[in-house]
Amino acid sequence: MKLLEIEDLVTELSDGHDWMRAVDGVSLEVRRGETFCLVGESGSGKSVTALSVMGLLPELRHRHPRGRIRLYGTADQSGDGLDLLGAGEGVLSRVRGGRIGMIFQEPMTSLNPVLTIGEQMDEALQLHQPELTEDGRAERILAALEEVRMPDPASRVAEYPHRLSGGQRQRVMIAMALVCEPALLIADEPTTALDVTVQAEILGLLRELQERRGMGVLFITHDFGVVAQIADTVAVMRRGRLVENGPVDTVLRRPQHAYTQSLIAALPERLERPARPVAGHEQLVEIRDLKVHFPVRRGFLRRVVDHFRAVDGVSLEVRAGEVVALVGESGCGKTTLGRALLRLLEPTSGSILLEGRDITRLPRQAMRALRRRMQVVFQDPGSSLNPRLPIATTLIEPMRVHGIGADDDERRERALALLERVEMPPDSLWRYPHEFSGGQRQRLAIARALVLEPRFILCDEITSALDVSVQAGILKLLRRLVDEEGLGMLFITHNMGVVEYLADRMAVMHAGRLVETGLTDAVLSAPQDEYTRSLLAAVPRLDGALINA
Amino acid sequence: MTEAHRVQPSRPWSRQVLAALVRRTGARIGLVWISLLVLVATFAPFIANTHPLYMVVNGEGSSPALANLEPIDWIWLAGFFLALILALVPGKPWVRVLAWLSGVGGAAVLAYALVSPPILTVFEQYREMEAAGTIEHIVRTPIPYSAKDYLRDYGDTGIEAPLAASERRHWLGTEENGADVAARMIHASRIALGIGFIATGIALVIGTLIGGMMGYFSGVVDIIGMRLVEIFEAIPTLFLLLTFVAFFGRSIYMMMIIIGITSWSGYARYVRAEFLKLREQDFVQAAVACGLPLPSILFRHMLPNGLAPLLVAASFGVASAILAEATLSFLGLGLVDDPSWGQMLNQAVQSSTFNWWLAVFPGGAIFFTVFAYNLIGEALRDAVDPHTQRTAQGAGR
Repeated sequence: MKLLEIEDLVTELSDGHDWMRAVDGVSLEVRRGETFCLVGESGSGKSVTALSVMGLLPELRHRHPRGRIRLYGTADQSGDGLDLLGAGEGVLSRVRGGRIGMIFQEPMTSLNPVLTIGEQMDEALQLHQPELTEDGRAERILAALEEVRMPDPASRVAEYPHRLSGGQRQRVMIAMALVCEPALLIADEPTTALDVTVQAEILGLLRELQERRGMGVLFITHDFGVVAQIADTVAVMRRGRLVENGPVDTVLRRPQHAYTQSLIAALPERLERPARPVAGHEQLVEIRDLKVHFPVRRGFLRRVVDHFRAVDGVSLEVRAGEVVALVGESGCGKTTLGRALLRLLEPTSGSILLEGRDITRLPRQAMRALRRRMQVVFQDPGSSLNPRLPIATTLIEPMRVHGIGADDDERRERALALLERVEMPPDSLWRYPHEFSGGQRQRLAIARALVLEPRFILCDEITSALDVSVQAGILKLLRRLVDEEGLGMLFITHNMGVVEYLADRMAVMHAGRLVETGLTDAVLSAPQDEYTRSLLAAVPRLDGALINA
Repeated sequence: MTEAHRVQPSRPWSRQVLAALVRRTGARIGLVWISLLVLVATFAPFIANTHPLYMVVNGEGSSPALANLEPIDWIWLAGFFLALILALVPGKPWVRVLAWLSGVGGAAVLAYALVSPPILTVFEQYREMEAAGTIEHIVRTPIPYSAKDYLRDYGDTGIEAPLAASERRHWLGTEENGADVAARMIHASRIALGIGFIATGIALVIGTLIGGMMGYFSGVVDIIGMRLVEIFEAIPTLFLLLTFVAFFGRSIYMMMIIIGITSWSGYARYVRAEFLKLREQDFVQAAVACGLPLPSILFRHMLPNGLAPLLVAASFGVASAILAEATLSFLGLGLVDDPSWGQMLNQAVQSSTFNWWLAVFPGGAIFFTVFAYNLIGEALRDAVDPHTQRTAQGAGR
């Protein structure tokens, strides 16, 4: 029985001057009791499709030249269904939250921080089910929180959102979306911001709730692993169009459209791994029993009452010509470790050796000369380059400071050669960071790191914010750099597919400590530690899920 | 995000902000008014002057207006034309600002060393010569009165309404000493502009340095800096000015400095907050990791990114500095003989009758100038904020 029908939907968005077609002739159908996955890279129009259904696009900044969206199965209209595009604001606000529930991506910002979670859920109930009494509502809220398996729901009702973890907030969001018993649930990347273990729990929960209630779910994601776990039907979107649409098994196993094929082929675990030269034995970086503790201060005089042990006794080494992956969930201390390693943070104890030389307590001035030996690329492509400087300045200034190249002309030549190395056009030199896409910015950040001819590069989640096809290009580039130039690389990530493709060795970090270290293949195929096993089990994998299905 | 290259003209941020700024009606109005003031202030001696621009006496041509130019007039002219030239010459912004500052400094030294106008000026002589018929040919400025020409030759001149006197034409009336209000207002625009820019400039430099240190180093530096900020915020500017006026006499430069050194705390707070935020940004961390020297990290990588709120605050700061000077002059503690808008306002209510022209014209000038700076500040805030910029475009700008 069909629940939601989108027919030839066209959505155009305006930036004030021009109309841009974000959704271009999308037709799809979500049936009762079915999970419909909409997959696509960023900018493909998948979120805009969902927002069109909800009528949540910015007023006066959008239009629908064509198309119909119909919601079936509501009590107050005929078998024709309710036309959502033509509906007034009054009808829509009854449908939203009442008939259609929605979960957003960012659990940190989608709850109101000044209301308790009970109050927020109560508000939705008051609006959509005015016949309920206060006690009835409280009961419903408690039942909903129990249903999403919130620990100790009775006391959580009176909590404010900041007291909850990311996963718990997402559970509250799901409870809020479900409290009015909607027939259709729209989930827009609900697990993207969560750790894999939490993601696995939330996906399981969604699946279970959907089966129990027989809801239709429109699930938006960019992750094929998640699709394989949760979808019944899947549709692939590209530049506002549906390129392929069908049952999940068929689409993932035997993709018909070239774009779907290329997307699946770009998954890091599917990338072909080139033959590697044998890693050298020259030790580049060695960390011995490194500890980074942050003081916790309380009270009037800000006395130190305790220490937060972000990194607590880590020993690790990186050799020339090898990639070591540092894996862990958010908050495990992997980024802190990276920053301490580069002396961007002062370590509490332990020692860091760069090419056999202890740099742990080296004074700032002496450190500055050594900086060119170890470089870094950061996670966020939006902030990794100075937005006020053209790329030329960003690349040439470090060379000038370290005395590389005789004059600026020679340095410019070197910068151009590097741009070619990271596969960027030479005219990038005179452009500003905002003119580049995320993937291009990361390439430029890699170029900046290479400018000083370092021996060691730290990559802190550098592909996490990128689409898979872009990520594939960057991973190949990194691997080639390491193999051809004999660099040592510490690659911080939470993506197991990336680890599998890129890393020679891996180290798993949990609560400030390394729980397991070893060759990548060995750790992935036969994890020794309990935590590593649970982490690997939680990773949504395309192949694993299909085999199980 | 796609890998495809987006074709867009490369424009530095400053150009983008400037373009976004002049697109806004408010900013246009403000900028036009301020430019008008700058023109009037620069060419004041050629707009309102008792000394004729050119006259022929006994067959000999001379230009008393040029001969009687004071050093400060030359400095204004030098500053104006230097700014014009530098605006056309390409170069780095901070280099051009430095060049302008040193150019004006040099001009000041030269002007005070070389220019010596007659100490005693007899304004009446030209009118007497004209009445006696000894002048064969004369070219006067549009307003033929100087700011300090009290028209002593007309006997009992005092406060007069606009166009009240039959034999003279005072478009905006005269003040209590008999000087032309229009002439005094034109010369007073220099004080309004000067005090706004210099006081704010001093405050900006101090605020940026102290705020930058606090934000970048944090810790002990931050704690000490914030206490310093709190101490300076506790100083009442007006009382400090009163005290200094009582001890050291009245000087416009002292006022500028005092307003400057008591109003930097706000800028320091802004810069500190920006730097605290920027310090954690990846590109700053990357600059540290590249081993760049501290001045480069602070002034090349951090400051330009934290400039936006500072510029906005500064344009409002100029307005409040002008108001502070006007307040002081209105209270009768400003300059004695030199004209200022606040001092004219003071005269409007001092005599037994209310002299509306002394309230309306200088008051209007203060209002429009402060308003213009506020308009620019408002538009600048929108221009540097990408979010409001988008909505402004959406509204059809």
